[in-house]
Formats: sequence, C-alpha cells, structure tokens
Amino acid sequence: MMQYARPKKPSTWQHFCILLRKDLRREFRTREMLTSMGLYALLVIIVFGAALALTARDIDIVSMGGGLIWVLIVFTSLLGLGRSFSYEKDQGCIEGVLLVPMDRSVIFLAKAVANMLFMLVVEVIAVPLFYFFFMTGSETSSTFLWIIAPLVLGTIGMAGIGTMLSTITMHTRAADVMLAVLFVPIIFPLLYACTTATTASILGSVAWMDYYVIPLVIAAGFDIIMLLVCWVLYDFVISS
Amino acid sequence: MNPILADIYSTVIPSAPYLIAAYALIWVALLVYVVFVVKGIKKTERQMAALEAAYERDSRATD
Amino acid sequence: MSRTGGSAMARSKDKSVKLPDAGGWQDAIAVPAAIAGAILTTAGFLMAFLWAAPVNGAAVNGFEMIGDTVVTHQQLISQKIFYFHMPAAIVSFFSLAMAAFYGIRFLMTHEQRFDTCSRALMEIALLFVIMTMITGDLWTRFEWGVWWTWEPRLTTYLILMLIVIAYFVLRNAVDEPEKRATFASVVSIIALVDVPICFMVTRMIPSSVHPVVLREGGMSFDMGVTVLVVLIGMLCLGHALYRLRFRSLRLRERLEALKEILDERPMDNPFSGGLPAAVSPVAVHEARETGPKTVLRPNGEPRPNKGKIRSEYPTCLLR
Repeated sequence: MMQYARPKKPSTWQHFCILLRKDLRREFRTREMLTSMGLYALLVIIVFGAALALTARDIDIVSMGGGLIWVLIVFTSLLGLGRSFSYEKDQGCIEGVLLVPMDRSVIFLAKAVANMLFMLVVEVIAVPLFYFFFMTGSETSSTFLWIIAPLVLGTIGMAGIGTMLSTITMHTRAADVMLAVLFVPIIFPLLYACTTATTASILGSVAWMDYYVIPLVIAAGFDIIMLLVCWVLYDFVISS
Repeated sequence: MNPILADIYSTVIPSAPYLIAAYALIWVALLVYVVFVVKGIKKTERQMAALEAAYERDSRATD
Repeated sequence: MSRTGGSAMARSKDKSVKLPDAGGWQDAIAVPAAIAGAILTTAGFLMAFLWAAPVNGAAVNGFEMIGDTVVTHQQLISQKIFYFHMPAAIVSFFSLAMAAFYGIRFLMTHEQRFDTCSRALMEIALLFVIMTMITGDLWTRFEWGVWWTWEPRLTTYLILMLIVIAYFVLRNAVDEPEKRATFASVVSIIALVDVPICFMVTRMIPSSVHPVVLREGGMSFDMGVTVLVVLIGMLCLGHALYRLRFRSLRLRERLEALKEILDERPMDNPFSGGLPAAVSPVAVHEARETGPKTVLRPNGEPRPNKGKIRSEYPTCLLR
C-alpha cells in the first residue's frame, strides 16, 4: 500500500514569499515596469527643465529641489501602481490566486512590497538624475544624504495605499484617472510630511532637525496606520 | 468722528461684503441641495405614476 | 435603528440585522429637527453679531471708551464668519465618521441598506465641507488679502473635499451594485482614517511660511456658547437633510425593486396553445412552497395570482 506523504499546508510567510518571488521574477525577466517607470521619470525631469528654463538662474533650486523630487516620484508611482495588477488581470491570474485557501491580505502585502521595491529602484535612478540635471551648479549641504529616510518612508506608504487603490480601481472605467483621483488626496499628508523632511535635509540649515524629525514621525505613523487599515480591508476588496 | 474711533472700526465696511457673501453662499448651498433632493423625489414620483399606469394597463389586459 | 417594514412578507424572513428604513423615530424627529436647526442657526447668527464680543485686531494709537470697556484694538467683524465656519467643519467631519460607520456595517453584513445610508451621509458631508470651504476662503480673503493660503485648516478641508468628490466619482465608475458598495465603503473608511492625519500633519509641522491662524486657540465663553448653539443647529439641519435624502434614495430603490418584480411577470405567450404562461414545475413548486400571496390592486381588491412572483429578492427591498 503506497503511503502518500500529505503535503504540508504552506504557511502565510511562504505564501507571501512565493507571491513576491513571482512578481520579482517576472520583473527581472521582462524589466518592463522598471524601464517604463525609469523613462517616465526622465521625461518628467525634461518637462521640469522646460518649465524652469527661463528662471533657472533666479530661483533657488536647492530649496525647491525637495518638492520637485516628490512631484517626480508621485507621478512615476501613479504610472507604476496603475499597472501593478495589469498583468494578473490580463492573464486571469487573480482568479487563480483567489482559489488558494489563504489569507487574502497576503496578496496585498506581496504586491505592495513588490511595488515598493520597484519604486525604490526607480528612485535610486531618478534622484541622482535629478541632481545631475538641476543641482550640480549649487552648493548642497552636508546633510543631503539624509533624504534617504523620507524617501523610503514615503515610498512604503505610497506603495501600500497605491496597491489597495489599484485593486479598487482595476475594474472601473478610466482606471488610471480614477487611481490618480483617489491616490493624491489620500496620500497628501504623507506627501506633505516627506516633502518637508526632504527639503529640510537638502537645505541643511541651522534648525533643520526640527523640520526633519517630526515629519518623519508623522510619515511613519501614517505608514503604520494606513498599512494596517489596508491589510484589514483588502479581503473585502479583492473578493468582489 | 474722532480718528481713534474711526480707526477702531476701520475694518468693518471693507469686510462687510465678504461677511455677507459668506452667509449668503451658505444659504445658497443649503437651498441648492434641498432643490436637488426634491427634484430627485419628483422624478421618482413620476416613474411611480408611470409604473402604476402600466400595471393598470397590464392587469386590465390579462383579466 | 428603526424597525423594518410591517408587511408580512418582510417579517417572514428571519432578520437578525435591523435595517435602517424610512419612517421610524429618525424621520419623526426630522421635521422638528429642521425647524430646530433653522431656529438655532438663526439664533446663533444673531448671537454672533449682537452678543459675542468682537475680536481684537491690530492695535490703534490710543484708546476709546466704548460702552463700558476700554478698547485699544481694531474691532474685527470679519471674524464673525468663524461662527459658521467651524460648526460646518465639525458637522462635515461627523457626517464622514457616520458614513464610515455605515461603511463598516455594510462590509460586515453586505446589506444594501447600509450602503444607501453611507451614500446619503457622504452627500451631507460634501455639502457641509463646501460650506466650510466657502466661509474659510472668504475669511482668508479678507484677513490675509489672498484668495488662498496653504494653511492647515483650508488645506485639510480641501483634501477632505477632494476625497469625498473622489468617492462619488468612484461610485459612478462602478456599475455592479455589490462591488460599488464594497469599494465605496472601503474608500469611506480610508477617508475617515486619513483626514485626522492630514489635520495633524499641517498643524504639527512647524511652518514659517504658512500662517497658522491661531486666533481661535483661546475661545472666550461667549464665543464658545455661540459656536455651540450654531453647532447644534447645524447638526439638526444635517440630520433633517440626511433623512430627506435617505428617503428619496429608498423611494427610488423600492421603485426599482417593484419594476423588477413586475417585469418578471410573464406575459401571456401567444404560442402556448391556451395554457397560461409560466405553468412550469418550478413555478408550481414555488407556489406550493410559499403559499398563495395576496397582491392588492391599486383600488384595494385582491388581484388573482396568475404569474410567478418571486418571494425573496427583490421584495426584501420593499417595506
């Protein structure tokens, strides 16, 4: 009599790893999202160039740099997040994933982490690019490297909310516009806090820590609260 | 009028249009909403009447 | 919440969840609430102008005796807008909170009724946030001379307004009722969590560029009482408007349900060779299961039950 070894039911962590690995593997093979997001970031920088061309000598680009970097990141994220589920939708993957008996919020977590990693990679490309195009002529302070923290915290929040909203707007008419209309107001506190922290660290003036620590604490709080809310609500969203 | 008193009340007249506009627009906003809801109710009533007429027609036809 | 409708058909279904409906104590108090709201807001308006002390503006050179107080500053009358601005903001946030509450209840029970409540409350929130924006903007225009500043209050209300508008755009973009209700509930919950954070962000970040209007930081007693009076008046008004809108939406729902039921009555089939239509085993089985139902004609006499009338959905939408 053959004894079948009953396969052990995978744990939540393993579900998460498998889903995440699937997204990362697909991205490494096709590099489709990274190239398109990277190109889009470059195009936005070029638009900035045109917009600021006449006043480039007059404006203080160092103080505006933080804000402009975040404009860049928000629009690039909108592009990337809008397409976070497009592949699954086209291939009918979502129904397949939903058939697996697991906590459906894991889908959210895996997709959010994947989106966050993609956005971080694009930021690693885009921020130096921005610096190259706009800020090599000016004196940047010694605290410039502190912008890493607000960038990371902001990206985490935007990836989380964006994944949730992308799932909601996936099936609506005019999905991209719908995502933008929902995304920007909801992300506003995070954007405001991160921009303040980024500008503070770029400027590096005397009391810069005041404008740095509090916004980062708020951004971290926003991330935690919003990720929790999205985690709880995701089951309802993806099941419909 | 002595100049100090005039100075004390100097912001009243310039601010009056904004004050009046603020309260008037609040009223207008409330009224617009009530009109909107009442129009919705009237439309539903018209549909209800049409439904009743169609129902009468049908039940008379199948009797 | 109020009891469900009184018809036998509705009560026969085992409702463990009480659904809010038109009629009931909320509607009974709606008209008195509207009147109370109108009276209270008018009283508040009069109190704002006649009783509450005006706020001090810039200092003047010298002093004057007005009434029995020594006045050394310009008396600002534009601040009177505040007495309607803050209560409107509070009512709009309260409506948002209630809409999110009904959103949570919808997600828990999947009853369409809660989604209707949530939607009506979001409309009230939109109305009051528009009122807040108008008053805030006009106040800013006079105080600071510009039509807009990125100060905490105005920014927070702008974001709230944008989120509520996004809520309605989303509702229009989704066709299926169940999906629409789910997505709308989720967005309302996210909005409820987001708005306080937005408020905190703009206040807590020390900002040298943006003027923070701190004047209402310390409210004197008469200011506080006036604001309270107007607040209660606006809450009553908001409740009355909400019930009006909710009844309008419910009426439309019931009409649609009725249309669906009556549409399903089969017409006499000309090819059926004389047999009445819909004499199918299923229909007979259903009729046996649920028993004969008495449907009344508009003139009151019972109509003979000729067609198949489904007893469950959508009669659950009827009273």
